Amino acid sequence: MASGDTNEESWGDLLAAAQRGDGVAYRRFLIAVTPFLRALARRRIHADEVVEDVVQETLLTVHRVRHTYEHGRAVEPWLAAIVSRRSIDALRKSSRTSAREVHNPLAYETFAEPSANTIEAGESAKELARLMGGLPPRQKEALELTKLKELSLEEASAESGQSVASLKVNVHRAIKRMRIEIGKDLFE
Amino acid sequence: MTAQQTDALIDALSAAASPVKRLASPLARAVAALAGLATVGLIAILLLPNDNPLAMRGAGGEMQAGLELAAALLAGVLAVVAAFHVAIPGRSRGWLAVPLPALALWLGFSGLGCWRDLARNGPSGWELGHSMDCFAFIIAASLVLGFPLAWRLSRAAPIDPLPVAVLGGLGIAALSAFFLQFFHPFAVTFLDLAVHVIAIGVVIFLASLLRRPMLRPA
Repeated sequence: MASGDTNEESWGDLLAAAQRGDGVAYRRFLIAVTPFLRALARRRIHADEVVEDVVQETLLTVHRVRHTYEHGRAVEPWLAAIVSRRSIDALRKSSRTSAREVHNPLAYETFAEPSANTIEAGESAKELARLMGGLPPRQKEALELTKLKELSLEEASAESGQSVASLKVNVHRAIKRMRIEIGKDLFE
Repeated sequence: MTAQQTDALIDALSAAASPVKRLASPLARAVAALAGLATVGLIAILLLPNDNPLAMRGAGGEMQAGLELAAALLAGVLAVVAAFHVAIPGRSRGWLAVPLPALALWLGFSGLGCWRDLARNGPSGWELGHSMDCFAFIIAASLVLGFPLAWRLSRAAPIDPLPVAVLGGLGIAALSAFFLQFFHPFAVTFLDLAVHVIAIGVVIFLASLLRRPMLRPA
């Protein structure tokens, strides 16, 4: 149904009824406009999951600001402005997330039963060994003592001869270096 | 998120449908807000001490003072009206430009006044004068006028609060500068004008900074 249809109630009439508290009209309105919202969101966003997120955020916003619709005016520009805003929010959120995080789809493939993860655990151990092999000796030593052997900084300092401050710096640099390596592997 | 979840959300929202009070048209709401601000300004002009500075400036032959006043008022009124429009989803972005011609006229007339003052008084036209008092007045008056205006604007829960905050900030700063003329018994110098412009910029910056807590966007 489009807003200009004469055989059925227009979107504007349904929304006006919803403003008066008519739940049935409100449901019909939301169902009718959802494909329109989805189509608008797809113009800006390509990932289907994100499109559906935007549609849902838009529906929530429509609910929050439904009192601002002025009966008699076209509904489409009102809805389009909301979709546009929520799409921009989603894109910003997505760019913030991708700037901070590395997405590793295989990381999700684990099971509740530990024994079921044996193969993945073996591969992870090999991968970790490979990454640690590429670290400078002092960074590797710092990481082994503090993260794998789980020694305290003081104990690791006594065993390695590195100062506590030096251990902290080397662990930080090692993790940063490994994170970059993981990112390279995923995107190559 | 899936389409099934969207359907469930629609069910939940329609089940929560309760009557809402529809907002009046943006113009009607802007007129109501401006009437409130005018009342506050009028009370301040009547109660606070001043020596009829408009007459003092007019007696000096500075007729552009009236034009300055009218342009400042027009810029403030148009910015407030525009803020109420852009707070509603789907309204034209052209409203963002509506106060600009009046703003240009106001700054133009003020600059002309400064130029005449400089030609008449020589280098004293570059002095700072009472600028810091003017700065404090514009900031303080904007705060007094800004809170009730922000409250009215927040009723629309604007989905994009930044343009609303910028226009609202410009509106109250211009109206504060308009009210300032009733306590301003001297012509402005270029430095005074620069301080006025900086004060307006500070108000717009503060309004932008506080847009989320003040406007409670959706």
